[in-house]
Amino acid sequence: MSLYVYCLGDGLSGAAFEGLAGVCGSRVRVLALGSVAAVVSEPGDEAVAADEENLLAHNRVNAAALAVATPLPCRFGTRAAPERLERYVSDKGAALSSALARVRGRVEMSVKLMWKSEGRKTEVESEEGGALRAAAGGADLGAAGAGTAFLLKKRREILGEEGARRRAEEAAAWLASGLGGLAREEAVRSSPSEAIIVRAAHLVERAHVTEYRARLRALAAERADLRLLTSGPWPPYNFSDIG
Amino acid sequence: MPADEEFEIDEDAELSLLETLDHVLDRGLVIAGEVRIAVADVDLVFLGLNVLLGSVETVERVLGERERRVDFLSGRAPRAGE
Repeated sequence: MSLYVYCLGDGLSGAAFEGLAGVCGSRVRVLALGSVAAVVSEPGDEAVAADEENLLAHNRVNAAALAVATPLPCRFGTRAAPERLERYVSDKGAALSSALARVRGRVEMSVKLMWKSEGRKTEVESEEGGALRAAAGGADLGAAGAGTAFLLKKRREILGEEGARRRAEEAAAWLASGLGGLAREEAVRSSPSEAIIVRAAHLVERAHVTEYRARLRALAAERADLRLLTSGPWPPYNFSDIG
Repeated sequence: MPADEEFEIDEDAELSLLETLDHVLDRGLVIAGEVRIAVADVDLVFLGLNVLLGSVETVERVLGERERRVDFLSGRAPRAGE
C-alpha cells in the first residue's frame, strides 16, 4: 500500500480535515509518527493525475493544515509506503524539527513582477539602440553591409539579454528593499526573458500579513512600469525542503 | 495606486489555479519515497529534486502552456478572435 502524503507537521489532528476530500476524492487522515504527524490519504496505487481537481485538492488539504499550524507541505504527487514514511521521519527527526521551527507562526506570501506595458519595451529598445550606435561609432546602422549587420544583430541579442537580466535584478532588489524586515526569508527566481521576470516567495509572520500587503500596495504605487501580482497566505512550499 | 484587479489575484479563479500549479508542482518537501504524477495519460516519476524519469517533452509542454496562459491572462498575448 502506498500513501499519498500532503504534509508533515506538529499540532495537527484529524478534526482539521474532517469531511475534506483529498486527491481522487480520497479520505484524508492524520498519521501520528512520534512528535511529527503526516497528513495522508489512500487514493490507490495509480499515479495521481496532475489535473485541476487534484492540484486544488492537494493544496486544499495543506491549506486546512495551515489553518491550524504551519506544516511542511509536500510536493504534489508525493507517495510513500507507511514503513518508509515512518523511517524517513525517524531518520530526519532533527532536520524536520528544525524546519518546523523555521516556519512556525509564519506563512508564505507570493509576489510576481511583470513589465506592465509596451511602453517599457520601447524604452528598452531605445536604450539598446543608443548603445548600438555608440558601438558602431555613430555609423548609420541601416546602411551597414551584411557582415556588419550580422555582427550588430548578435551584439543586439547580447545587449538585450544583459539588459533584461540587469533590469530583472534591479526589480528584485527594489522589491526586497521595499519589504525590509517584513519578509523574514525569501526565495527568489529571476527569469528576465519571460513574461514574469521575478517570482518571489516570502516567509512572513502571520501577525504581519496585513502590514505586508499594505507595504506591497505602497510599492506597487511607486512603479508605473511594473505589475505586481500577489497571492497568499500559502503553506510554505518554497521553504519546506530539508535536503 | 493600481486598480485591485491589477494587484490582487487571490480572487481570480484562473490565476489562483496557476498560482497553485506554480506552488505545488515543483516546490515542497520531497520525502524519501517518490513523487509520481500522471500528465495527459503519461505517467511521470520524479525521484529526489528535479530529477525526472519519464517524458521530459510532456513536462516541457505543460510548463510552456502555463507560461502562455500567464501571457494571455496578463494581457501580453492577444485573446482569441482579436
